[in-house]
Amino acid sequence: MLLDFRKLGAWKWALSAICGLMTLFLLLPILFIVALSFGSSRWLIFPPPGWTLRWYEELFADPRWIDAALTSAKIAVIVMVLSVVLGLLVSLALVRGRFRGRAVLRAFFLTPMVLPVIIVAVALYAAFLRLGLSGTLVGFVIAHLVVALPFSIITISGALETFDPAIEDAAILCGASPWEARLRVTMPCISHGLFSAAIFSFLISWDEVVLAIFMASPSLQTLPVKVWTTLRQDLTPVIAAASTLLIALTVLLMVIAALIRKGKAR
Amino acid sequence: MTTPFLHINGLRKVYGNVVATDHVELAISKGEFMTFLGPSGSGKSTTLYILAGFQDPTAGDILLQGRSLLSTPSHKRNIGMVFQRYTLFPHLSVGENVAFPLRVRRAGKDEIDRKVKKALKLVRLDGFEDRMPANMSGGQQQRVALARALVYDPPVLLMDEPLSALDKKLREEIQFEIRRIHQETGVTILYVTHDQEEALRLSDRIAIFNKGKIEQVGTGPELYANPATHFVADFIGDSAFLGGELAAIADDRATLRFADGEVLAGVPLHGTGTAGDKAELMLRPERIELAAGPGREGATLPVVVEDVTFLGNNSTVTARTGWGDALTVRLNFGHPMIGSVARGDRLHVQWQPKDAHVFVKP
Repeated sequence: MLLDFRKLGAWKWALSAICGLMTLFLLLPILFIVALSFGSSRWLIFPPPGWTLRWYEELFADPRWIDAALTSAKIAVIVMVLSVVLGLLVSLALVRGRFRGRAVLRAFFLTPMVLPVIIVAVALYAAFLRLGLSGTLVGFVIAHLVVALPFSIITISGALETFDPAIEDAAILCGASPWEARLRVTMPCISHGLFSAAIFSFLISWDEVVLAIFMASPSLQTLPVKVWTTLRQDLTPVIAAASTLLIALTVLLMVIAALIRKGKAR
Repeated sequence: MTTPFLHINGLRKVYGNVVATDHVELAISKGEFMTFLGPSGSGKSTTLYILAGFQDPTAGDILLQGRSLLSTPSHKRNIGMVFQRYTLFPHLSVGENVAFPLRVRRAGKDEIDRKVKKALKLVRLDGFEDRMPANMSGGQQQRVALARALVYDPPVLLMDEPLSALDKKLREEIQFEIRRIHQETGVTILYVTHDQEEALRLSDRIAIFNKGKIEQVGTGPELYANPATHFVADFIGDSAFLGGELAAIADDRATLRFADGEVLAGVPLHGTGTAGDKAELMLRPERIELAAGPGREGATLPVVVEDVTFLGNNSTVTARTGWGDALTVRLNFGHPMIGSVARGDRLHVQWQPKDAHVFVKP
């Protein structure tokens, strides 16, 4: 190897220090908000003068927060299911299909990833106003599906490309009908891709705020939107508690995704 | 005439304006080991894929025991197949891989256990039931694939270059296994390969494919001793081709005149031709003798030695005729001329006219 860490001498201390600082830089805001959510100060004083669970009690006592969390979860789960199912069908067409314009179609499916979210949001807002979808669950799901689907397509296509179709042919000659072969052989073989797609789709919807602000109505809003609107009214540690719960679920799912990747590499 | 066990009847497959196979006609007996041998793109794999049902022929039919297979989808044909690439299901253990065809057939637990055990024993992998495919060598994986293809007792087993990903030594080892399994089970095997040695070692009969057509069908010795076409002669074994002209024909024997005026009579003729047609004389290297001067009997030609290669158990002498055609002579280890032959030597080659063949050039 060109750069062997053990042979760097004094440089390795410098590298370790830089690495440590980078980690702190990335983690500190998160640790900060977690600490504040447990701090006893009403005014978000840091370091907290004492510790309390009061803000969590307030959070769980307020039905508006619970509603927002449930709405978020509902939308994220629907987006996750649709994103994986549609992602699988699109990937099958893009990877296995032999039709003209396949590359163009693939690029088209991935554009929401590179398009600024605010532009997608404004466009969908204008369209949904006319269609009467703004402020509805369906509107939320469609908006989040637009940004989640590219991630599904990338991960599932990736898994499908490394899967040899001859294995599916073998299953068919063994007596399995084409759909049985796909269900019993192809799907388990690309399950790591399906799981990753599911987790990322859920998280994209769960964390998404820009589209959600445009889609939300007073009666229907997601957790990030609730955090955002509450923040504009008053600065309360309840926001820190809500944010901590948001982060906790995100971290948990990221860990699961990492474990799946590790399991696949083993 | 009785109906053949498996009848490939005038099979033709066209992709766009490319003809992949054309009028492929073959009758295969029950229990026969038939090999499709040919270069890549010769139509041998296409024929196999049509048998498997992965492709539909443009014309023609496939009859198994007199019944057409074409309207039956792949998964209902009850045909076994071993592929060129490793196709074990990576998420299932060896035992579950072999059990898969029985599970989709909704077989009972006892039957599955018994047949899986028997199939793994057949490929000498008993006790490997719980192993995962990723933890096995390529040779072992292909043996499991063979067990999986045989576990449901298919009437026909298709093998599409199953050993091409393995190294030479392992390949020979598994070739013997395949022969033994063929003898033990009596299953009818259609085997595709581009390796003539593999074809000769395994097969009862070989069908030589070229440009989508079968050039000749026969046992290995038949094809070697009596090739019907230039292509077959060139593909099976090494041979030299000397260009000339037909001087006369009588009773399937030709008289050939070479470019330098040399005339050779009594050579078996393949194909039809008339005096004056361009023709080629084919010679096997082990049928040619090397001598210092012209021999008293048989045919003889003066040549100039171009190169001598030592290959262990034999040496190969490359020589050129007066008019520039190359031919090789094989000298077995211990031949008195090894050591004395050198580049530029003017020698004579000689052979029996009946050991040579004449092919008329189209």
